[in-house]
Amino acid sequence: MSRIFGIDLGTTNSLIAVMDHGVPRVISDPETGETLLESVVAIAPTGEVHTGRAAIAMEPHLTVEKDGRVSAVGFSGGEFGAVIRSVKRYMGLGGGEIAPEDRNRYTFADMSGSVVRFQIGKRAFTPPQISAEILVALKRRAERALGEKVDRVVITVPAYFNDGQRQATKDAGRLAGLEVVRLVNEPTAASLAYGLNKMAEGNVAVYDLGGGTFDISILSIKEGIFEVLSTNGDTHLGGDDIDSALVDWMLEELPEELRHERHVWNSARLAVEEAKKRLSGADEFEIKLELPGHLIRKSLTRGELERIAAPFVARSLKRCEMALADAGLAGADVQAVVLVGGATRMPLVRRRVAELFGREPLCSLNPDEVVALGAAVQAGVLMGTQGDMLLLDVVPLSLGIETMGGVMERLIHRNTTIPTSVTENFTTAVDSQTHVDIHVLQGERELARDCRSLARFKLGPIEPQPAGLPRIAVTFLIDANGILNVSARDERTGREHSIDVKPSYGLTDEEIERMLEEAIDLGEQDLEQRLLIVARNDAEQILGALRKQLGEFPELIEGGERARLEEAAERLDAARKTEDRELISRLVEELNELSTPFAGRIMDFAIKQALEKKSVEEVS
Amino acid sequence: MICESCGAPVGADLDCFAALGLPRKLVLDPAALERAYHELSRRIHPDRFAQASARARDASLRSTALLTRSYRTLRDPVARGLYWLELRGEKLAENNKSVPSELAELVFEVQDELAELRGARGSEIQALRDRTVARRGELESAMNDLRERLARNFERWDNADHDAKGLVADLKAILSQIAYLRTLIRDVDRELENLKAA
Repeated sequence: MSRIFGIDLGTTNSLIAVMDHGVPRVISDPETGETLLESVVAIAPTGEVHTGRAAIAMEPHLTVEKDGRVSAVGFSGGEFGAVIRSVKRYMGLGGGEIAPEDRNRYTFADMSGSVVRFQIGKRAFTPPQISAEILVALKRRAERALGEKVDRVVITVPAYFNDGQRQATKDAGRLAGLEVVRLVNEPTAASLAYGLNKMAEGNVAVYDLGGGTFDISILSIKEGIFEVLSTNGDTHLGGDDIDSALVDWMLEELPEELRHERHVWNSARLAVEEAKKRLSGADEFEIKLELPGHLIRKSLTRGELERIAAPFVARSLKRCEMALADAGLAGADVQAVVLVGGATRMPLVRRRVAELFGREPLCSLNPDEVVALGAAVQAGVLMGTQGDMLLLDVVPLSLGIETMGGVMERLIHRNTTIPTSVTENFTTAVDSQTHVDIHVLQGERELARDCRSLARFKLGPIEPQPAGLPRIAVTFLIDANGILNVSARDERTGREHSIDVKPSYGLTDEEIERMLEEAIDLGEQDLEQRLLIVARNDAEQILGALRKQLGEFPELIEGGERARLEEAAERLDAARKTEDRELISRLVEELNELSTPFAGRIMDFAIKQALEKKSVEEVS
Repeated sequence: MICESCGAPVGADLDCFAALGLPRKLVLDPAALERAYHELSRRIHPDRFAQASARARDASLRSTALLTRSYRTLRDPVARGLYWLELRGEKLAENNKSVPSELAELVFEVQDELAELRGARGSEIQALRDRTVARRGELESAMNDLRERLARNFERWDNADHDAKGLVADLKAILSQIAYLRTLIRDVDRELENLKAA
């Protein structure tokens, strides 16, 4: 059997690791030597996929040309292809659940349904499909580095991920052609890495502030048993949020509409990210951001950074207090504190965490790598090579069902060790009732409508009987991945009931099958046919976009250039009616290249206009 | 929980004591309980069967779920007492809304004080708050007394030849008082928390 690999599928960075003679090791890219793969996926208008650095290069941003002119480059979304960052913030969530600040970052095909879909060209991609591209890149990296097959993995998830977010992560693995042997909570994985060499024992707190999510887990580590006592967190709290707040500070003098312009925003984010990193060592850093015809120059001090970051850190500490209370411990009862996640490099975070627990936190293992290392250790446990080590994790959120009057009846309490199960008896309310509807919920609130809907299912068909007579025992089982499984048995006949569970959010098995088939089909004989369709779609898109731009900005293009563009467009328009895919693709590329300067001028124009409007407003 | 011949976990409708390989005794040493739980977990947990057949994996999953639930039930003396009642076909009265008579006076006093605290304005808040904090201490010590009574009830059960009927009634009385006191302490905490937030 092949080895099991450990993957940290992070909001900002992802890594792959494996056990090597009892020692976990992060696998670096054999060509570049990189260990971190930026969790960024670019999908070109042609359908081509790039990940990591290559994808970041295609992100919409502003660049200073050789002649000193600032121009906008990159895939700006929609028909122009898109670059997706922090896809983890969208995993397993329905449109209505996406955080307000994440709603405008990309073009979405559908924000109303149970799964959001990114609109890229004519196609729509679900978050698991985008995540799968990151997993595939990691799989290939490890295969190239080690010359062995990678098909079984452990993937880490934030401890506070709900059932839907966990399921979406498993779906991503499946779409990447991987068997996800286990999902492991990130802070728990980190404790495995630290506990392996007994660097941490007794009551241990793991504070994990990553790019997009925050987790706190309190564990008891004793003789190889890693028992999680409690966990808490916020799946929308991370270094990204601090960066966003810094961007707002950086761009506060710009007019509102320009602040959210994707090229401007991304360039500002790169600039503040750099400043934030520098300020872990320095006390002050000057940020320069060049916009067309406008230079923003601001000095960021450690004090200012800490003032901006403080509310986010305070939110994380509140969660720590809740976790301690659930574990029945005080801060002083904790014997070791472990820091995980890039954002914990901030001196402010270290100070506050040290204050809360009354001791200096451990950070001897690289906070960017420790989760992946722990995932590899757990892979070792699953392969049976880690002797007596065993992880006993918990479910982060309570699970229950909706009862009369819309009340949530808790069946499994948060912080219950998993796997766990509970069996509940159901009966009918009226004579000859043949079905019982059950609504499963997850959350801590009293009312069903305030909890997250997890799934609905129908029990039945039940033999017609007087009300209250049927007895159906439904077992809710949460497995070691923290995912719910439901089964039902008729107590009278002893027959197993089949249950059709409809997840409230996320993909159905059929949808995943179809996505898999589509992916596989591309490798079969009709590949050529599909590529032709893709090429034609691309041609349609670029022609449509060009027509629109020529109509809207005639003053930005002079006669000769316009004629050249129109001629190239005509040739492409004729070609797309033929079967010659290569010709179509070549002409798409040609037109793309020819129209780039024009698109750049449109961008410049839009930015300048917005800036002028602002200065007029200031004058008046 | 473990198949004698092959060492694989077996799924069965064991009671919580049997699931942990313990005799049916109410007085339990927490350390021994934890040891039994860890020892069994090491052997039957799904992590030990990740590469086994689908059937073994399923059996491991179900028996571990039973094991963890049993451990949780027995670890907490109150849950253990409630489970004991369940094993004997007894349970606390449904909708346990009526105030246990032993607690009635205390409950009404506390509710009055909380209402006063809610309505308090300005300078009087501090004094009322201090009174409620002191009251919380009292409730806590009442809870400790009840827990001791529970422990004594457990001992009497284990020393067999007592009148089971009287023990059941005693156990029910203790558990319903604990349940009520818990709710009361939670209400007090919530009120103090609200005050802190305001």
